Order: sequence, then structure tokens, then C-alpha cells
Amino acid sequence: MNITQINLTIAQMLDYTTPILFAALCGVLSENAGVVNIGLDGIMRFGAFFGLVGAFFSHSPWIGLLLGIAIGCLVGALHAFITIRWNGDQTVAGTAVNVIAVGLMTYLLEFVFSTTGYSPQLQNYFGAQAYRVHLPFLAKIPLLGAFSNLSFMIWLGFICTVLMHVLLYHTVLGLRIRTCGENPKAATTLGINVSRVRWFAVVAGAALAGVGGAALSISSFSGFSDSMPNGVGFIGLAAMIFGKWTPFGALGAALLFGTGQIVQSIIAVTGIAPKLAPGLTLILPYVLTLAVLAGFVGRSIAPAADGLPYYKEQR
Amino acid sequence: MKALEVRNISKMFPGNLANDNISFSVERGEIFAIVGENGAGKSTLMNIIYGIYTASGGDLLVNEKEVKIRSVEDAIKLRMGMVHQEFMLIPRFTVTQNIVIGDEPHKGIFFDYGRAVREVRELSERVSLTVNASALVGDLPVGVQQRVEILKVLRRGAEILIFDEPTAVLTPEETVDLFVTMRKLQAEGKTILFISHKLKEVMEIANRIAVLRRGKLQGIVNKKDTNEEELARMMVGRNVVLEIPKVDVEVGAVAFACHDLHVRNKRGYEAVKGMTFDVHGGEIVGIAGVQGNGQDELVNAMIGFSHPVSGSMELNGKNMRMVTTAQLRKEGMSYITEDRARRGLVMPYTVRENSVMGQHLGKPFSKGIRMDYDKVGEFAEGKVKEYDIRPGDVYDTAGSLSGGNQQKLILARELSLPHNFLIASQPTRGLDVGATEFVYRKLLEEKKAGKAILLISLELSEILGLSDRILVMFEGRIVGETTPDKATEEALGLLMLGVGIDKKVQS
Ligand SMILES: Nc1ncnc2c1ncn2[C@@H]1O[C@H](COP(=O)(O)OP(=O)(O)OP(=O)(O)O)[C@@H](O)[C@H]1O
Ligand SMILES: [Mg+2]
Repeated sequence: MNITQINLTIAQMLDYTTPILFAALCGVLSENAGVVNIGLDGIMRFGAFFGLVGAFFSHSPWIGLLLGIAIGCLVGALHAFITIRWNGDQTVAGTAVNVIAVGLMTYLLEFVFSTTGYSPQLQNYFGAQAYRVHLPFLAKIPLLGAFSNLSFMIWLGFICTVLMHVLLYHTVLGLRIRTCGENPKAATTLGINVSRVRWFAVVAGAALAGVGGAALSISSFSGFSDSMPNGVGFIGLAAMIFGKWTPFGALGAALLFGTGQIVQSIIAVTGIAPKLAPGLTLILPYVLTLAVLAGFVGRSIAPAADGLPYYKEQR
Repeated sequence: MKALEVRNISKMFPGNLANDNISFSVERGEIFAIVGENGAGKSTLMNIIYGIYTASGGDLLVNEKEVKIRSVEDAIKLRMGMVHQEFMLIPRFTVTQNIVIGDEPHKGIFFDYGRAVREVRELSERVSLTVNASALVGDLPVGVQQRVEILKVLRRGAEILIFDEPTAVLTPEETVDLFVTMRKLQAEGKTILFISHKLKEVMEIANRIAVLRRGKLQGIVNKKDTNEEELARMMVGRNVVLEIPKVDVEVGAVAFACHDLHVRNKRGYEAVKGMTFDVHGGEIVGIAGVQGNGQDELVNAMIGFSHPVSGSMELNGKNMRMVTTAQLRKEGMSYITEDRARRGLVMPYTVRENSVMGQHLGKPFSKGIRMDYDKVGEFAEGKVKEYDIRPGDVYDTAGSLSGGNQQKLILARELSLPHNFLIASQPTRGLDVGATEFVYRKLLEEKKAGKAILLISLELSEILGLSDRILVMFEGRIVGETTPDKATEEALGLLMLGVGIDKKVQS
């Protein structure tokens, strides 16, 4: 492989990484406040479809992105309403979101575009040359060259990681979010409104999952496919755990899983694939996920009150 | 001036009237104690005043003005502060973070950690409660965690302070320190509500004492006009024997023996550094010591939670060094723990299920893979009557019982298991006088029945009152052995602090 090929491969790896990263960041924010959101895979599906719809009808990926954020907030609010307002079981609520997302998007795809399987392709999407972030001065430098021509969404992912780190570890709100995730009762005794903080974390997190979905349909790809997000949300959850519920940890894990995806494509391209069973390379990233989960999860500790409903008068 | 007045406050929990029409007022600059049995409603009342619970009825007045306290924010605005019965700390955060959360020094939206650390250091110096501002709270002994809780309240400049059983986890020395702080606060004109089960403490620190019983205010007495016996009688509704009777029993054969036992703690640090002792049938051996001198690790090794690194351990003559808890229990060990929530009971399970745990396998409580809940129920009903576990419904969850009743449930289970060796680790922690008396009586009955008992306690009066022999533990070693008739609290206290021990023996 020459430099250009290597750069292209890295760029593609980052393309795979970004949706995983957004999903993981959604989990990091929500779970640091103590709310498990396994519905984020479903939220991504919402985001992917509505992102496409926005971009398709407005001919602008920016509108798609906004719509992705909006739908993420909306579904996140539903999750928050069930789990925080009514103390519903977080796993059940999240699963419901996932199930609804599968059926509803398939239906909407047909309803809006009268097609099945794939939406019409976009001309204007973040992956298109016109929408890329051009940094020509990097182009000639080996490895860094990969960053000279990336989709805006990839950069957004990096920016969100840094912002989330600052939020959680350097702001007053971040300290309070983590307090709610560690010991909501203690938070109450300190005069913190646990419900309000958790609402914020769940909705803002879900917005990121919506963006992650949009990153699939209007950045990595130029359209919505009915199989989206292909389990990326769950891989994101794994990345969150592997990254020990921290933003930079999540980024590292997402990069690892992104690499798994690219290895899979390399195997396919270089022609080793025919010798392997066709399905085998497809499951590579998932096997990697499982291996990582089995090997490392024992050593990372979730926020103490993660997943537990809380109401003020409980003992 | 009245700093706080409570008027006709009631609180109804589902099926349980926890506070029944309670009224009293507290003068500014007063230390006002509240006593009552486990489950009398003391914490409930405090939580209402502090805005965590909403009263079902009644009014609150602060500085003689009627106030509505709907949330903790409201209470904090009225300059109230509360040290809760359970720690409200986050082990993974630093001391500084724990102290400032909710009222953080900040620059814009950013948390100013540097300033927070400085503020905590200043405060800690000013009120002479020493803490390491940057230590992780989870690494600290409970006594220091308690200091963190107190600093948290002081930092907010509270005028009305509520202390809900702050001394339950403190050593006698730490309690003395706390009282010094409380008196200082009182001198500054702050008002303090203080809850404790230790009547001696109450008599020492309080100006007036309110007694609650089953949710009702029984009466308010001046410290000057009362004594421990009267308080105990008001709390429980009958005479309580605070003196522990002497029971003489013929000492039997050795039940438990260990030799040169070495045990590491979770971090791999050697916490028990060579202990040799034995416990005979019909005797109570008391282990006295300041918390954190290896008692927990010793117990863990004795119950099979961790294996000693070296030394021998025998139960009824059989080697027990590398065995499981199940094997130890089969050989006749029973264990009463102070940690009711994590070790003693499964809180979400019912009284019925908890009562047979550990003997649920095999006859009579199960057949093959099937539990025989009729038998379990019968057994539990019997125990509930025998031990007077209230409210008495075997379908209640263990978590819904008061501390005293939880402890009775543990006793009921552990003493009904076939055993000849009983480990009682701080068996009366957090218990009211009535429940404490009950535990003492049961332990003495055990002794009469010829069982061997190892009692580990931080309460010197308990050790002195119950034990036949006393071992003093300091930094993982036995530094002295004595009997209650020869020892005084003072002499024991000094030994426990390692005073007068030959340094050569130690190193
Ligand atoms: N959040 C709650 N939900 C339901 N019942 C409760 C709750 N809190 C307390 N209770 C019940 O109210 C009664 C009073 O409990 P409370 O904790 O106020 O007692 P206490 O006097 O503080 O006892 P202790 O000395 O053991 O701390 C008990 O019967 C208890 O089971
Ligand atoms: Mg209480």
C-alpha cells in the first residue's frame, strides 16, 4: 500500500468510528447521571432516517443534522419520561425504543419514499467532496494526511468528545451529573434536583445518538438503508463500558472497533475472503467486541447508581 | 428566640404512621436531643424538617416564622444542615468534591477545584476537624468520613444543624472530639438537634431531651431533671435493665483456636500480624480495640471470606484454614454481623426467606430442587413470635424492618442453625436500649447453653459487661489479655491506643 492508500484507509476507519463514538458518548452522558439507555441503538435508527429525510428534502445535510438532533431529543425525552418521571424499568423502556424503531422506520421508509430496503441516494451529504473539511496543509504529511479531507461529522465527533470531557470533569454541572449517577440520595441531601439533572443527561445524550444515526445516513453513507444502524448502537455501549464510562476512553474504544470494521473490509478487498466463509469476516467487529467485553469489563466499574430508578422518599 | 418549631407534624407511610402529631420547639443555641426505639420515627421527622420527606400534615416554623419546606433547597435556604444516619458520600470522589457539591466554588460554568481545596483546608483548620482535602473518601475510615459529613454541613453556614446518630460509627475518642465541636457551635449560637441511642452521650451533651415512641412524642425532659433509667423507661414503656447480669458457667472444651494467624486485607497489606487465642465452650471472649486495627480482617478469615496467609485455625479440633464458609458453618460456626444490609440479610427478600437462609437446602425446608414454603413459613412464624420481631408479618421485606428488628431476625436465624461457636461482631451497632438488652440476653443464654462466643466490639462497656476474658487488639496483634474484674475502662482505653506497649514486641 502506498501513502495515499494508507491515508484513505485511516479516513475510512474514522468514518466507521464516528457513529460508534456518538453512541458511546450518549451512553457516557446518560449513565454518568445514572440512567441506562440501551435504546440508543433505536435512537440512532430514528436519527439515521430523519437525518436522511431532512437532508433529502432540503438538499442540505445541515438540515438533516438538525433533524437528527431534534428526533434524538424527542425520543430521549420519551425515555426520560418513562424512566425518570415514572420510575419505569430502564432496560424495558430502552428495549421498547429499539423495537419501535425497527418497525416504525421500515414503515416510514415505505410511506415517505415508496421504496423498501434503501432510501433514494443523496447528492448533498457530509461525505460529498463539497461538504468535507479541507485541510490541504496536512495532505503531504504521512498519516496526518488522512485528516486533510474528512467529513465534518468526524470532526464533530472529536469536538463532542472534548466538550463532554470538559463538561463532566471541569464544570459544576458535570460534578452534579456524576453525583446523581453515584448516589442520587446524597445529591438530594445536597439540594440537587436529581430528576432535572437526569432529564438533561438523558435528553442531551439521546441528541448525540441521533447525531450518530445521522452520521451513518448522511455522512458515512449517502442514504438510509433499512438495516441501519446494524448494531452500531450496541457496539457503542460496549465502547462506553470498555472506555470506563469516560469520553476519551469511549473514543479509544470506538477507534478500536472502527479498526475492526476496516480490517474486515481489507480482508474482503485483498481477496483472503473467499477462502473464509463469507459471513465470517462480517462478524469480525462483533467478535472483537465480545473478546474485549470478556477481557476487560471486569476491570471497569460503572457509576454506583447506574440503572437504578430513584425517587425522593425511597429509603 | 425559638429557632425551630414543629407543630402537629404527621407522616404516613403506606400502612405505617411514622410520625403522629408531633409538636415541640427548640431554642436558639440549644442542643436538643431526640431519643426513641429503632423505628420510633426520629429519622423520619428529621427528614421532614430537612425537606427530603413531605409531611402528611402539620406546620414548621423557623425563627418564629411559618415556612414551607418542599425540598432540600428550601431547607438549605433557611440555613439548615443535616448529617444523615447513613453516609451521604461518594466514595469515588475526593474529600473536597464531597464537601462542596451543591455549592461549588466556580468561575462561570467551570468548577474551581483549586479554590475548593483551599476553602476546605481553611475550614478544616478553623473548626479543627482534620481531613486530607485530596484523599478519596472511599479510602477513609468511617470516623474521618463522619468528619467530612460534618464539614459539608458547616461549610454551608448552617444555623440549625441536625445530627442523626452521628456517633453510631464513631470510636469513644472520636465522639469526644465531636462533642467539643458541637459545644463550640453551640457557643456560636447555632442550634443543634442530636439523635443517639447512647443515653450516656445524650445525658452528657443535651440541654433538653425529647422521647419518641412509636411515632408519638412521649415527653420532653430537661437533662437536669432526668437520668438514663427514666429515659429508657420512657422510650420502651417498661423498665430496662441497663446492668448486664453476671452469669457463671462451667468452662468447657476448646471450640475455636488459632495460632500465629496472619491475614491480609483487600489491598494485600498484612492487617492481622500473628494472633494466637482460643475460645472455650461456655465462655465469652471479648476483643476490644479501636476500629481499623485488624478486627474486620480477623473476622473475614474466621468466617472463610478470606484465607489467612499463614498460621493455623481450628474449629472443634478440625483444621479450618483453607475452607469455605459453608464448611465452617457445617462444622458449627454461626455469625452475627454489624453490617446488616450487606452481610446479614437480603433486604428485598421477605422475613420468611431470610429466616431460613443458609439452612434452606435439604430437609426440612426443601425437597430436591423445590422449596417447601409451608415449612419455611411455619418456621418463620415461630421465630417471629419467639424473638418478637415487629411488625410481625413474615411477608414484609427485611428492608422494611427497623434496625433493631433486622438484628433480631439475624439472631433468630443464626442461633437456630446448629452451632457451638458464635462470632458476634458489633452485634448492637445502631440498636436502641431495648434491642441492645435483648441481644445481651440472648448472648448470655448462648453462654449458658455451653456455646463458645467471640464478641468483637468497639463499646468498652459491652466488652466489660459480657466477656469472661478480654483480648486487646492493636495494629493486628493482641497486646494484652485481662478479665473484666481486673480491668478498668481507662486502662483498656490506653491499651487500645497502643500506649505502654513494648515497642520491641511491635516491630
Ligand atoms: N421511606 C420510607 N418508606 C416507608 N416506610 C418508612 C420509610 N422510612 C421510614 N419508614 C418507616 O417509618 C418508621 C420510622 O422509621 P425511622 O427511620 O424514622 O425510625 P428511627 O426512629 O430513625 O429508627 P432508627 O433508630 O433505627 O434509626 C419505621 O417503621 C420505618 O419502617
Ligand atoms: Mg433513624
